[in-house]
Amino acid sequence: MGKTMSLITGDFVAKLAKVWHRFTLSDQDSETLATMLAPMDDAGEAVSGDIEFDMEPSDFDIALEKLAAPRDKS
Amino acid sequence: MSDELAGLDLCDVADRIRSRDISATEVTQTAIRRAERLQPVLNAFIQLEADEALDAARKIDNRIASGESVGSLAGVPLAHKDMYYRKGKVTTCGSKIRADFVADRTSTALARLEDAGAIYLGGLNMSEFAVGPIGNNVHYGDCHNPWNPDHAPGGSSSGSGASVAARIVYGALGSDTGGSIRIPSAMSGVVGFKPTQNRVSRYGLMPLSFSFDCGGPLTRTVRDAARIMDVIAGYDPKDPTSSRRPIDACEAACGTGINGLRIGLPSSYFYDDLHPGVAAAMDTAQRVFAHAGAELVPVDVPNHDHINLIWAAALSAEAATIHRKWLRDRPDDYGPMVRRRIEFGLYQPATRYLEAMTLREKYLREYCATAFADCDVLLTPTMPVPAPRLADVDVSDGAGMPELVMMVSRNTRPISYLGLPALSVPCGFTDEGLPVAFQLIGRPFAEAQLCTLGHAYQQDTDWHRRVPSLAGI
Repeated sequence: MGKTMSLITGDFVAKLAKVWHRFTLSDQDSETLATMLAPMDDAGEAVSGDIEFDMEPSDFDIALEKLAAPRDKS
Repeated sequence: MSDELAGLDLCDVADRIRSRDISATEVTQTAIRRAERLQPVLNAFIQLEADEALDAARKIDNRIASGESVGSLAGVPLAHKDMYYRKGKVTTCGSKIRADFVADRTSTALARLEDAGAIYLGGLNMSEFAVGPIGNNVHYGDCHNPWNPDHAPGGSSSGSGASVAARIVYGALGSDTGGSIRIPSAMSGVVGFKPTQNRVSRYGLMPLSFSFDCGGPLTRTVRDAARIMDVIAGYDPKDPTSSRRPIDACEAACGTGINGLRIGLPSSYFYDDLHPGVAAAMDTAQRVFAHAGAELVPVDVPNHDHINLIWAAALSAEAATIHRKWLRDRPDDYGPMVRRRIEFGLYQPATRYLEAMTLREKYLREYCATAFADCDVLLTPTMPVPAPRLADVDVSDGAGMPELVMMVSRNTRPISYLGLPALSVPCGFTDEGLPVAFQLIGRPFAEAQLCTLGHAYQQDTDWHRRVPSLAGI
């Protein structure tokens, strides 16, 4: 994985695991998870500016139907 | 005669059973015998339902003998990734946790196949809980690639690809959340069809990610896949997310001309860093399409790097929601790699998940406006590399795991995020004798058009006629 801007650390992941999910991670597990989560965090940060006020997830299903290939009449 | 039967295509065997040229019983007996013979080498099956299959085959023969009308798949032995529920039967989902799970419903896809007369031969090996593009499984043993058992079959629909390639069954259902139909079909040298999101009912299909899961077929030919799609596709009131859009008949689209169809060749991303054997096969495939009358055009595609990562974040958030209780109470009952990939989702903020889901519409619109602006479909390698050796991909949950997953699924994941249909078709072999495949990617609901192109390609090539030597045909 390349250079990351994410501030996610092993300590942070371990804390989330304990507070949110009520289980304990080993130091190695929390460090490994932090390393793997960092690029996702960076990508999420990078695209978050694309969100516009009126959007919602169900727009995707409408778009699938509207952007469909023309129906084959043969 | 029996091994000759195994070498037939699904459509051929179905048509010969219906015309009473051969019986469903002898075809099913052959399939059972082959499944038993090849199981020690391939480990493609988790459960083989031999007696049930033979009973069903005899009933089909009796119906045909009495002049009764039967469906388009009557008497054809199929087997499916062991995550399609059958009421009252165990469906393991490739897991230890669900090793004894008895389903309380039958999946709509299986019910439709049964209505069409297909014979259910058993549940196929798969990556645990459909997580993992390699096809290994720590609970039921690794499935092996029929072209070289030292190599991975691809996952997560590993048994589906291996059993079809080894000419045990004539077709198999898999599921695709980020490439899990297309990757094993490419690695095992068979056709794999991931339909548009919402085209095939997910009712009774084990969930991994309710937003990205798609059921679809793996078969020997495009026409075979088209026939199965014609049976399983379409609105299902039991799955309110399934599309009400009328279906375009896929098998009827096989055989229509491709003159003038425009095939887009992405100028970035999909063709980056290809294995030499993959690059050579793609060059040849492009020439085949051009010779058959299609017009090849270079196209720009948006950057997929962010899409791949936010897809992974959203997928893991949905999977972790489903698995959270077991992750906490039974963590040691997961394979390490599977647990790790699901675990990511426990640490995604809700806003990040919803941003990823909300942006799907925007990115789909942008994709259609750019990538499909000047072409009907895209042609890309299904995978940048051939099947890796099983011994080389035993990375467990360590630091090398994300790179491995990304290498194998790089070209399939963004298409799952965008919900687009994609058809993977074998198009050659590497010098080491491992299969190579391309994927045709269409606009939403362009399944029939993909079949037209894929079938036309197979009329001019014979890669799909090659059979692994261990199949013994």
